[in-house]
Amino acid sequence: MSTQVSTQASAELFQSLSTPEARMALAPLLALAVGVVLHLVCDVVEALKPARALVFVGAIGAGVAAELRVLLGSPPPGLVFDGTFVADRSTALFGLIFLIAALLAWLVSNGYYRENRPFKPEHDALLLTTPVGMMLMVGARDLVVFFVGLELLSLPLYALCAFRRMRAESVEAGIKYFLLGSFSSALFLYGAALLYAATGTLSLGELAGAELGTPLALAGLALIAASLFFKVSVFPFHLWAPDVYQGSPTPVTALMATGTKAAAFGFLIVQLTPLLPLGGRSLVAVLALVTMALGNLGALVQKDLKRMLAYSSVAHAGTLLLLVAAGMGAPDRHGALQAAFFYLGGYLFTAMGAFGLIALLESDGARFTQLDSLRGLSRTRPVIAALLALFLLSLGGIPATAGFLGKWFVFAVLVRQDMLLVAVLGALLSTVALAYYLRVIVTLYMQPALEGHEPPRTNRLSASVVGAVCAAFVLAMGLFPALFLGLLGG
Amino acid sequence: MLALLTFLPLAGALLIAFLPKQSESLLRLVALAVTVVTAGLGIALYLDFDPAKLGFQHEFTQPWFSLDGYDAPIPIAFHVGLDGISLLLVALTVVLMPLVVLSAYGHVHERVKEFLVWLLVMETGMLGVFVALDVVLFYFFWEVSLVPLYFLVGIWGGERRIYATIKFFLYTVAGSLVMLVGVLALLWNCGSASLPELFTLVAQRLDPLTQTWIFGAFALAFAIKVPLLPFHTWLADAHTEAPTSGSVLLAGVLLKMGTYGLLRFGIQLFPGVAIDAAPLFLALGAIGIVYGALLALAQQDLKRLIACSSVSHLGFVVLGLFALTGPAMRGALLQMINHGLSTGLLFLLVGMVYERTHTRDLARYGGIAKVMPVFALFFVFTVLSSAGLPGLNGFVGEYLILAGTFQVSPLWAALSVTGVIFGAVYLLMATRRVLFGPITNPENEHLVDLGAREIGLMLPLVALVIWIGVQPNALLSKCAPALERVIERVEGARLASASAAAPAEEIR
Repeated sequence: MSTQVSTQASAELFQSLSTPEARMALAPLLALAVGVVLHLVCDVVEALKPARALVFVGAIGAGVAAELRVLLGSPPPGLVFDGTFVADRSTALFGLIFLIAALLAWLVSNGYYRENRPFKPEHDALLLTTPVGMMLMVGARDLVVFFVGLELLSLPLYALCAFRRMRAESVEAGIKYFLLGSFSSALFLYGAALLYAATGTLSLGELAGAELGTPLALAGLALIAASLFFKVSVFPFHLWAPDVYQGSPTPVTALMATGTKAAAFGFLIVQLTPLLPLGGRSLVAVLALVTMALGNLGALVQKDLKRMLAYSSVAHAGTLLLLVAAGMGAPDRHGALQAAFFYLGGYLFTAMGAFGLIALLESDGARFTQLDSLRGLSRTRPVIAALLALFLLSLGGIPATAGFLGKWFVFAVLVRQDMLLVAVLGALLSTVALAYYLRVIVTLYMQPALEGHEPPRTNRLSASVVGAVCAAFVLAMGLFPALFLGLLGG
Repeated sequence: MLALLTFLPLAGALLIAFLPKQSESLLRLVALAVTVVTAGLGIALYLDFDPAKLGFQHEFTQPWFSLDGYDAPIPIAFHVGLDGISLLLVALTVVLMPLVVLSAYGHVHERVKEFLVWLLVMETGMLGVFVALDVVLFYFFWEVSLVPLYFLVGIWGGERRIYATIKFFLYTVAGSLVMLVGVLALLWNCGSASLPELFTLVAQRLDPLTQTWIFGAFALAFAIKVPLLPFHTWLADAHTEAPTSGSVLLAGVLLKMGTYGLLRFGIQLFPGVAIDAAPLFLALGAIGIVYGALLALAQQDLKRLIACSSVSHLGFVVLGLFALTGPAMRGALLQMINHGLSTGLLFLLVGMVYERTHTRDLARYGGIAKVMPVFALFFVFTVLSSAGLPGLNGFVGEYLILAGTFQVSPLWAALSVTGVIFGAVYLLMATRRVLFGPITNPENEHLVDLGAREIGLMLPLVALVIWIGVQPNALLSKCAPALERVIERVEGARLASASAAAPAEEIR
């Protein structure tokens, strides 16, 4: 009897897997997963070793193609696998963000690890795993699916953070991230368990119709939110970010700042926010403003560029959290999605470009992340300095860059929800942010080099490509936003 | 045509960016050519402009992107056009630019290429602000124009340049970010970003309270830029530390962005609120006139003195704008141009003498007229123009403003007249201390007088100063109809609020 049931169940499962929609939704994930396996195989077979780069790029390319199919397919697959996973235009766009982040981080990492070169293939395989986790997170319509995605992203990242294992700060970053990350995973599970106890379901679709006002359910939602806040470094869970960002290898930092943040915010804004009760809006808005303030004030006093960008990333998380606050109760889903997509897309190219150039300059020595060591860079490396200045202005939200329109769309959503006071406070806090971005530009352009100080000479083609591509996208998004807004559709 | 005018300098900047940085004379020549051609275009537009026509001329629209509105998507466009108000400011900008490039021959010797690139980018930003007819586009250019000046002051400025440039940037950005919220609120509530449409939509769709809030958000940004009284502290630092060309542009054009904004997005867009807010702005303007003049009296640093005089002069402009009468508003617009010319000249002259003496300290001058008679001639001429000598430009503007304000508010007009007197005092005192008396500083005994380039670059401005002084109607006739329509809007709003208030009185 029981065998019969399980056979029947697995037959149903197989059927639900093999519908055309399910195949279409699963294709990007499968492309990457196959890529990871192939990559590992190539690493073992001597004759195939040169093909590793090809496999990496091929897997990303196949993933991009599969996401584009979802994006342009009409209608997109929608809910699949018994309503546990969704693939539509917005998840496809986030998928593209993750794939591009992984590809660019890989380009930045090529030639970055001097002392650890033999292990680079493992690094790449881990790197290729992370977008799978991110895609699962954004598409999850079930808390368990989300958790699988979260772990699939986090576990490779723990290893990647500690990847420069000869350097104490890298190992420290890895351990710190691992311990706190496990803690946040536990919070998530606990929250999910409480929600289940309160409502009897873990599916977001069913939760949307369930009574979430009970204390038990609210406690569950709060725990889940806390665990996500940890991932995106929102106050009061932001303290790990500066240490981990600074200690990790720069390509990994770049991936965390862009990809991880996009994944967690993608889930928050696309899937979870509509569930959150409107009554919590002011609390979330206050958390967001405090995060912005702490991030910006923290960045103001930093002497290390990487650490400064870490604090700046905390501040950006605060801005994005404003979007979550505005989206609570799902009043204007399209506007919030548009803003989230544009902000995170812009931040992807901006932060990736900035970290990529830092990686290029430091050439495996932490020396050149110190602000003072970058003095007068505009004389010795004019192109790098100009691009870095462009990225900093974009982070600060100056027009003609992607950062400006990202900020613009976020504030547009806020003003539309009549959160005028929050918008004005947020705007004023962004002014503080400009103070430290401008200070870096002062260092690059307006101060002479220190006596007896060698400017960095490093040159790596693939990191330079990242800088150029990111700059092109930052400007294109800033000047021709219609090209990118059209992707999301009406 | 207008789009070409706006982006020509940017194209020039890109061209220069790809030229080798060693060939400085070529770079300077290209920059000069680009600005001269732009000036030619601008003057052609000026001559072609027909003040009798209603609405904006040379309009050009290119869709850019769109935002979700409440009912329908709000199209944001690259929408530019000219009316009598923007025409004069565009003309001022394009005329000043070649002279600024020429003046840079004297004081910029390092990193020439970068300097010229920023200068040209700035021209695009400034022109964009004046011609934009889309609120989003206006905001875009408004913020973009900050960046070049940040670099101009920060790289080529004086000793405290970094402090000055960051202060300037943060002050202005704080204001403009608040304006951003205002822009967004305007967009959502009116469902349009196009200025000509907004002129009618604002009154239809916004209740007075919302209008007041949005006006406040805009006015804060403009007041910081002008700068009006409590926000003026960035100006003295930025002016003092900026290189000559930066100071000329800052005084000549950038500050006008603030007064232009007050006129276009304050008074013209929200006439009802402007009527209510007028007493506040009249007071701030009048106090600014006197306070700026008193500050100028106390300065030891020649450049700082002129910077403080700018606070005083722009107080006149604000006073004239918010008197909300025809003559005062014409005077205010004329005074914007006058201040650009006279103060531009003053900064050029100070820059020229600074290149020779390397000091701005008034105590280290004295008796310069003996060694530099041509310089002294120009300096006295400019000071008289700035102080409002009849027959020169400053007199016409100040007279119109004071006459127009007196109809509305004799008190503030009377207070402002004392500003004229103080103005004459600090300017003439500065002239005496720089030019006349014995040469107290032995280093000044062998100064070389102005060369042909220096005289040549000032002559166009001198000619304009005299022309406006003698023939102010030539300029005024171009802008008067446009200003008349602003006044009509204000009067319309006044009537509307009066008729709204009248029934309420009857009920009581």
